[in-house]
Amino acid sequence: MPVRKFRDVSEMEGNTWLEPGDPRLFQAMRAVWKLAARTTRPSFPPGVYKHRSIEEADALVQVWEQANFEAFHARRRERRDDRVPRAGDSKKK
Amino acid sequence: MDYELTREVLAAFEREGVKYVIFGAVALNLQGLARATLDLDVFVAPEEGNIARLKTALRTVFDDPHVDEISAEDLLGDYPAVQYVPPEGAFHVDILTRLGEAYGFDDLESERVDFDGLEVTVVTPEALYEMKKATVRPQDWGDAERLRQRFKLEDE
Repeated sequence: MPVRKFRDVSEMEGNTWLEPGDPRLFQAMRAVWKLAARTTRPSFPPGVYKHRSIEEADALVQVWEQANFEAFHARRRERRDDRVPRAGDSKKK
Repeated sequence: MDYELTREVLAAFEREGVKYVIFGAVALNLQGLARATLDLDVFVAPEEGNIARLKTALRTVFDDPHVDEISAEDLLGDYPAVQYVPPEGAFHVDILTRLGEAYGFDDLESERVDFDGLEVTVVTPEALYEMKKATVRPQDWGDAERLRQRFKLEDE
């Protein structure tokens, strides 16, 4: 892939857009969705939830997202704790 | 979110003749901005027959008795927002028949776009912009700004 240069970060933003229907858009969607699923491993309680308003629905989503956020960090902590000490770790203060 | 499963759900909607319009992050994706999301937001026409078709469509994709809990009585009555989390629990489908006093199904401007070989109905960038900027979530304001710049939209 060629190197592309920009004079300003704001110019880069526009280049993340693709035309609807462009095969590269579907490739990007697949890649981004897959990466997000693999790194965050979201989990929601199966079932049907009924709400009187979108605000109520959003509130429940916030609860789920918080739980997923905490689970993500718990997994990271576990991985860190399980890590085999490397040479030089004991010298760190 | 699972790309193939999302496409499969929408293919079922098409096959069963569900009257729906995708909005939210999946709409943003299909309008050209690939972005991670955890839900599929759909407005559905508030008609009993349409809700029945929606349930049939979901049943063809998910072997899940919970689908039966989605009811026209709720969606046409006091519960215009229903979230369905399939058995795998990896994403949710948010089903709306109206959004406060601001939007109903018939108010939404929509268009047909390609989703990897499947024609689906999505809100127009203009409608998505209006919806995104009207919410209280900062991430939606960011999306609204991106839409405004990309499609050169101005406030009405």
